[in-house]
Amino acid sequence: MTQVLFKNRHPDRIATMEEYRAGGGYDALTAVLGKYPRSKVQQLALDAVLLGRGGAGFPAGKKWMTVAETAPFPRYMVCNADEMEPGTFKDRVLIHTDPHQIIEGMVIVGYSVMAERGIIFIRASYENAARILEREIERATTAGFLGDNILGSGFSMKISVHRSAGRYICGENTAQINAIQGKRANPIQPPPYATEKGLWNLPTVTHNVETLACVPHIIRNGPEWFKSLAAIPTAAGTKLYCVSGAVQHPGCFELPMGTRLSDIIENHAGGMQAGCAYKTCLPGGASTRFLPKSLYDIEMDFDTMKKAGHRLGTGSIIVFDEKTCLVGATLNMMAFFARESCGWCTPCREGLPYMRDILARIEAGDGKPEDIPLLRQMSKYVWNSYCALAPGAASPVESLLTYFEDEVQEHIHQHQCPFSSKG
Amino acid sequence: MIPEDFKQQLQQHIAGVEHPREKVMDVIFMLQDRFGYLSDELLEDAASLLKMTPLEVEEIATFYEFIYRRPVGGHVIHVCDGVVCWMSGYTAILDHLRGRLGIDFGETTPDGRFTLLPTCCIGYCDRAPAMMINRKVYGNLTPKRIDEILEKLGWDITGKRDDTGSL
Amino acid sequence: MPKLIIDGRHIEVAPGVKVIAAAEQAGIMIPRFCYHPALGSAGACRMCAVKFLEGPVHGLQMSCMMEAKDGMVVSTTDDEAVDFRRFVIELLMRNHPHDCPVCDEGGHCLLQDETVSSGHVMRRHIGKKRTHRDQYLGELIQHEMNRCIHCYRCRRFYQDFCGYHDFGAMGSANRTCFGRYADGPLENPFSGNLIDICPTGVLTDKPARFKGRRWDFERAPSLCIHCSLGCATIVSARYRELVRVEARHNPAVNGHFICDRGRFGFGFANHSNRPHHARIAPAAATYADALQAAVNQLTEISRTFGSQAIGTVSSSRAGMETLMALKILASAQQWRSPSCFQDARQRNAVVSAVIRLSPDTAVCLHDVECSDHILVIAADPIAEAPMLALALRQAWRDGARVTVLDPRPVSLPCEYTHIPVAPKQLSAVLQKLMNALLSSPDTPQFPPLRTSDDAHNAGTVSSPSCDPKPDTALQLPLLAASLQSSQRPVIVCGTNIVSGTVVNAAADLVMQLRASRKNAGIFNILPGANAFGAAIASPDGASFSEILTAIESGEIQALLIAESNPVRWFPDRARIRNAFKKLKLLVALDYLPTPVLDVAHIIFPTQTHFETPAVFINQEGRMQQTSMVHCNGMPLSQQTAGKHPPREFRHDVPGAGAKPAWQVLLELNAALSAVNTPLPSYSELWEQIEQETGIAIDRRPDSDILEGRRLRLETQVHLPETPPPDTPPPINLQEDMSLELYPVESFCGTEELSAYAPILCRMEPMPELIMHPSDAAGCGLTDGGMVTIQSDAVTLDVRLKTAAGTATGTAFLPRHRQLVWRQAGSTDSRASLLQK
Repeated sequence: MTQVLFKNRHPDRIATMEEYRAGGGYDALTAVLGKYPRSKVQQLALDAVLLGRGGAGFPAGKKWMTVAETAPFPRYMVCNADEMEPGTFKDRVLIHTDPHQIIEGMVIVGYSVMAERGIIFIRASYENAARILEREIERATTAGFLGDNILGSGFSMKISVHRSAGRYICGENTAQINAIQGKRANPIQPPPYATEKGLWNLPTVTHNVETLACVPHIIRNGPEWFKSLAAIPTAAGTKLYCVSGAVQHPGCFELPMGTRLSDIIENHAGGMQAGCAYKTCLPGGASTRFLPKSLYDIEMDFDTMKKAGHRLGTGSIIVFDEKTCLVGATLNMMAFFARESCGWCTPCREGLPYMRDILARIEAGDGKPEDIPLLRQMSKYVWNSYCALAPGAASPVESLLTYFEDEVQEHIHQHQCPFSSKG
Repeated sequence: MIPEDFKQQLQQHIAGVEHPREKVMDVIFMLQDRFGYLSDELLEDAASLLKMTPLEVEEIATFYEFIYRRPVGGHVIHVCDGVVCWMSGYTAILDHLRGRLGIDFGETTPDGRFTLLPTCCIGYCDRAPAMMINRKVYGNLTPKRIDEILEKLGWDITGKRDDTGSL
Repeated sequence: MPKLIIDGRHIEVAPGVKVIAAAEQAGIMIPRFCYHPALGSAGACRMCAVKFLEGPVHGLQMSCMMEAKDGMVVSTTDDEAVDFRRFVIELLMRNHPHDCPVCDEGGHCLLQDETVSSGHVMRRHIGKKRTHRDQYLGELIQHEMNRCIHCYRCRRFYQDFCGYHDFGAMGSANRTCFGRYADGPLENPFSGNLIDICPTGVLTDKPARFKGRRWDFERAPSLCIHCSLGCATIVSARYRELVRVEARHNPAVNGHFICDRGRFGFGFANHSNRPHHARIAPAAATYADALQAAVNQLTEISRTFGSQAIGTVSSSRAGMETLMALKILASAQQWRSPSCFQDARQRNAVVSAVIRLSPDTAVCLHDVECSDHILVIAADPIAEAPMLALALRQAWRDGARVTVLDPRPVSLPCEYTHIPVAPKQLSAVLQKLMNALLSSPDTPQFPPLRTSDDAHNAGTVSSPSCDPKPDTALQLPLLAASLQSSQRPVIVCGTNIVSGTVVNAAADLVMQLRASRKNAGIFNILPGANAFGAAIASPDGASFSEILTAIESGEIQALLIAESNPVRWFPDRARIRNAFKKLKLLVALDYLPTPVLDVAHIIFPTQTHFETPAVFINQEGRMQQTSMVHCNGMPLSQQTAGKHPPREFRHDVPGAGAKPAWQVLLELNAALSAVNTPLPSYSELWEQIEQETGIAIDRRPDSDILEGRRLRLETQVHLPETPPPDTPPPINLQEDMSLELYPVESFCGTEELSAYAPILCRMEPMPELIMHPSDAAGCGLTDGGMVTIQSDAVTLDVRLKTAAGTATGTAFLPRHRQLVWRQAGSTDSRASLLQK
């Protein structure tokens, strides 16, 4: 299995800058800075079909192109390391594995949009990762890969680490922009887009950690190589899949984009835990839909998942076994989303606690048959929210009712949780 | 009252950016790390350093999970209640902690050393169940491991609080 | 211009207009909570969901977030949209308490209305409701956080629209609450608008609390007369008592909002000491007896001393009818023309401002909001015309630059450049600014309107030419360049601390900018709601100081004062007291319990502009009329001392002895006239006013009098060519150095009418003497200490506040209610400063 992002992965330590450089690290930066026109960098990313790894899957090159040549300065490059999607930990692993590819990626993207200030927005619980990044930024600066006039190219960039104090909504691009500015982290609905008016109303490009880490490799090896990494011709690159839950070896695995779910669970995560049978999974974190058993063999890439009516999201597979109560699991997630709502719009602020309360009553055996159509209607209506948080929150509920209605009905008819021994 | 040298440190930190507001979170963390929690007095000091009104700082401070506006213990235990931890034995872990410490969520031990709080998925799902103490993460928790951690932090796990029998 | 169809109606709107606003233009009111025309879209409440059937977007969308586009077909009544809106209401009502019976918003609550119209009638949610602790937000606004539906209007208004940051949103998710960091009064002088914009009962009118439902009130459109802007209001009264003032939308003037002085300053109309009956001092009298006594004595004095021995006084708070009736009376009886201004400087400044205003150059408050560079000269907006400060902020938010040339440490809720210039230096500074404007290449010079400099400076005391300070001189070319690069500059000019020379210089600047093809405008601030009308009614009237001199010399033996309180604003109280003692007859007409009534021989109570229609002309020459809200009488609460209404039936209204001042004056005129003069009706009075002045009220049924209409001054109004002369400079505080004392306004505590409003009196700040730190140091004074202003007549103690933004050589003292500043000295006396 080709390891790109995890090439320098060690079980017990972080790869050093020297190790990273020995494997071609900072070659892409050296090649690009001052030598490539910014459009060429953008074109390479576009040709490589580098899709945003934060969950939305937006083409990275296209995002950079939306920063107009005439746009005002200074411009900002934000690295989104606010990984708060339940079940997701790939960015943490990546930072703890080989942080310099993120720094190099930020400088290259910064160069392509002429952003001279980079900000890594990192969640509070990743304090270790934040310290690693600060230390490695310092080293990269000393080595001349960051700071003023990088490698004599005339391009300067400074990167700082911005610690968040913990709110899921801060992972949302526009909410994050507010958070960095020291404002309440409410999202802002475009237009204008952040690439036009972001931080302090200036152009701001935000990327997920994993997306940025891919960039140097694409520059160095070319788009065709990147595309060839994928398992299927319609996808590109590798993907960091996180597997957690009822599997033998939970962990983060770098696999070709489009690897089959069954392959990931059985061959990489060691299969199901002893005595556990696969029931379903959330393929891309808590804000994706439960996958029916029929899709156990699905190819895990943006396109295939979308065509099947699902989302790859962050590629974080939470595996549930037959003994786990999905009503309880959904209630847990709904409690999370209700707590993490920013409180801006009605469906999210009021609707999610409402859904949580209904799920709690069902789980406690106090559910009524009419709760099911009510939940269904609410899962539909919260899609009319201000941002994507509430639609994401509704995904487990809606798919629970679609694929596992029997389990919900059982709760209601038995007036108790049929799995009450667990959870 | 913030000591003068620390105040200068904060001022220096703020002076590093064009918009002082950008550093509101850092300043709050720095104050909190030093003084334990963000008291009204510290919040007002932070506001004046950042050229914000106290309300503006409060708008931020009350938004986030890891900013404590009330006194907390020296060790703040955040137990991850994410869905993966939930299905990996969160309830048992929490019960054990409650039993050992004799406190519930939102409470601080009478000696002021431990505070118990929930937190959302902290991104250690590969090591579920997990918890965080003062922003240091502990994974693969079992009652035994919790006892080790608590003992290491100087908590007498054989104390009378154990009578709830969480094992 | 996008064309779209909403509910089958074809609509064409301006580009950029949101669908919710487009629908409103077509008369379709889409339900909303967070959207507000002045605050814009927020997308928070999701109540304005409509179905887009055809066009660039499809499906359920928020009409506040969607710009109207060509080809859109929108349904507001589509089943899905209706059901979704019902769902939103269900969510909001989950936590909203059902305390409508004791909620002051009940009856005019948007949430109540939308809940009923949405069809949500049954609560499906089981469990507790969310609760919050309420905060004390001061005397004006009651906080009841449990009722909140989180539309964020309050925060958006408070922080974004007004620029104040002591009120906001705290917490997150469904724990979000709105309030202050800690209990305490709101700092925003526009905070009262929170009451109007809150769609439910979270923020309600505290003084009006539990005083009644909207349908219990007598309500009518009215005007705010607490400054010269003439903001539109709606006034509610019950049991002969005013209860509440709300903002009324006037797009040209105040938009949707008013300031707190205008909202809470109405207490004068309910004042317990208000005169309700005529008096022949010291006893009460019938109206007829008082009228007869006045006629007898006035006739006697006129016969003995000549008709010119009778002086008349009114003020800029009197309506047009009163001013003109007084003028008609004075001219018919050949008495002295009404004196409406405090001193010659004020008269000179106001009349100059009125003369120089033309339909081309006059701009309204909305035009200020649309300007791209505003130069404020000799004005302190928050104190003198509060809503102007809000307009400046809106202009600034849109990218405008704001520059202030004023000696005071002016504070504005936006970014601005402040150049402190002493009043006596302002003319020179403006001249330099004019030179800088002219010195830029290709600048055509405007044809001077008035060729003679003497006209501008008529009567001006020639002060030694004061060169602006070097740093000011440096800023002027930059200011000139910035004005040159703007497209819609507006020059705001105050009349409180300067004379007509500065007003004229400001007008000249506007003419010059217009000559350079700028769409430049002038926006004057005048002292008083009807100062403009006073200038029209009596441009040649003596100033009050001239009246005093005439009394002292015996030329005036009788004085008739109609709705004016010279004691309040005239600097020398001892002099005025002695002068009044010399008078053979003092007749006073007023609705306020002024000290004049205490010494007057004959008193006629008059009606407020809430009790009789009155016309006021605001500072931009906009004529507006108030409507009668309720009839005059003693408030029931005063009549019964708060007890249950008496079961006593009578045909008259208790305490209803007051008449409109104009009516008393015209009745006096009729009774005084030898030939039988018929008593004119209200409309006949206006016919007469039209003959006299050229201004007329619109009597058509579709009259725009509520919105107001700007007068076409050049063609309509008869005004003198040049303003009357100016007066000597103000008081010099220090013998050995030049330190001039100026009495000034503040937001609370100085304005005449609101000084009778107990609620605002409780809130007013302590008066402070304001000086530059270096001047204070020069006098040996320290910031925060008590100082004594010592003059021949009196000793005045006041706290000193130093502010670096003050022009050196100047000191400012508010005309504060609590401060007998007027005793500090007469206009020509000298005073000295001592540290206590």
